[in-house]
Amino acid sequence: MWLETALAIGMVTSAVFAIYLKETVASVLSLSTMMILLSLLYFNLNAPFAAIFQLALGTGTAAVFLLAGDTLTKKSDEKTSTKTKLAALVASAILSVPVVVGTVATQSFSSTLDMSLSSVLWDLRAIDVLAQGLVILTAALGVVLLLKEERRRK
Amino acid sequence: MDYIVLSVTILAIGIVGLVTKHDLIKMLIAIEMLTAAATMNFVVFGSLMENSLGQAFSILGLSVDACVTAVALALAIAIFKKLNIRDVRELSELKEEPSQEENQVMEEN
Repeated sequence: MWLETALAIGMVTSAVFAIYLKETVASVLSLSTMMILLSLLYFNLNAPFAAIFQLALGTGTAAVFLLAGDTLTKKSDEKTSTKTKLAALVASAILSVPVVVGTVATQSFSSTLDMSLSSVLWDLRAIDVLAQGLVILTAALGVVLLLKEERRRK
Repeated sequence: MDYIVLSVTILAIGIVGLVTKHDLIKMLIAIEMLTAAATMNFVVFGSLMENSLGQAFSILGLSVDACVTAVALALAIAIFKKLNIRDVRELSELKEEPSQEENQVMEEN
């Protein structure tokens, strides 16, 4: 219980800092911290595959993309004032209260079907996985076309 | 502790970031937060139902999220290289003024 609460408070705090901080690098690092804590929460919920994907894609890939984007589009170096940092701390403390004490009524379900990850992915959601491949290829093609256009203009 | 309250809180922080920030990269960070909050619900409900359906959905969602980030960043880089702009407010100011002929057609209609 205390581990979940600590992870939740850490997530809220790092999410608030990711929005409040003026330096983009610090914001991206805060977002990565939030994603790492989220993947720990997934491990705690007995969802190891989701946790590993969250670590690889949510934390690693997204951070690399965002930092690369920031480096390639750098314009100004704004510094976060101490006042803003304190405001972020107060905001995260206030937002942590409902997370710790709030509850929503939910029902527990259980199914008798074979619901292991491989059977779900390859039997139940096979078409989704195929469509996923198409989405990734289209995204890669889009990125190449966008950046190629730039190179041609130069 | 309730995971749904946590998810809603992160979603709210993401929405606030998306509305208040005008920097393209900061807006992408807020979008990442929104998708993380949405994906968390899949895993939590999958855990409640004691099956892997939630994990499967979260894996599919995370891959789409990475694609969205890549394309949005490519767009941001292309915009910056062409116009030297990172602020969305400056982008919306680029809207072209209607010409005299277009104004006349609009008045006639």
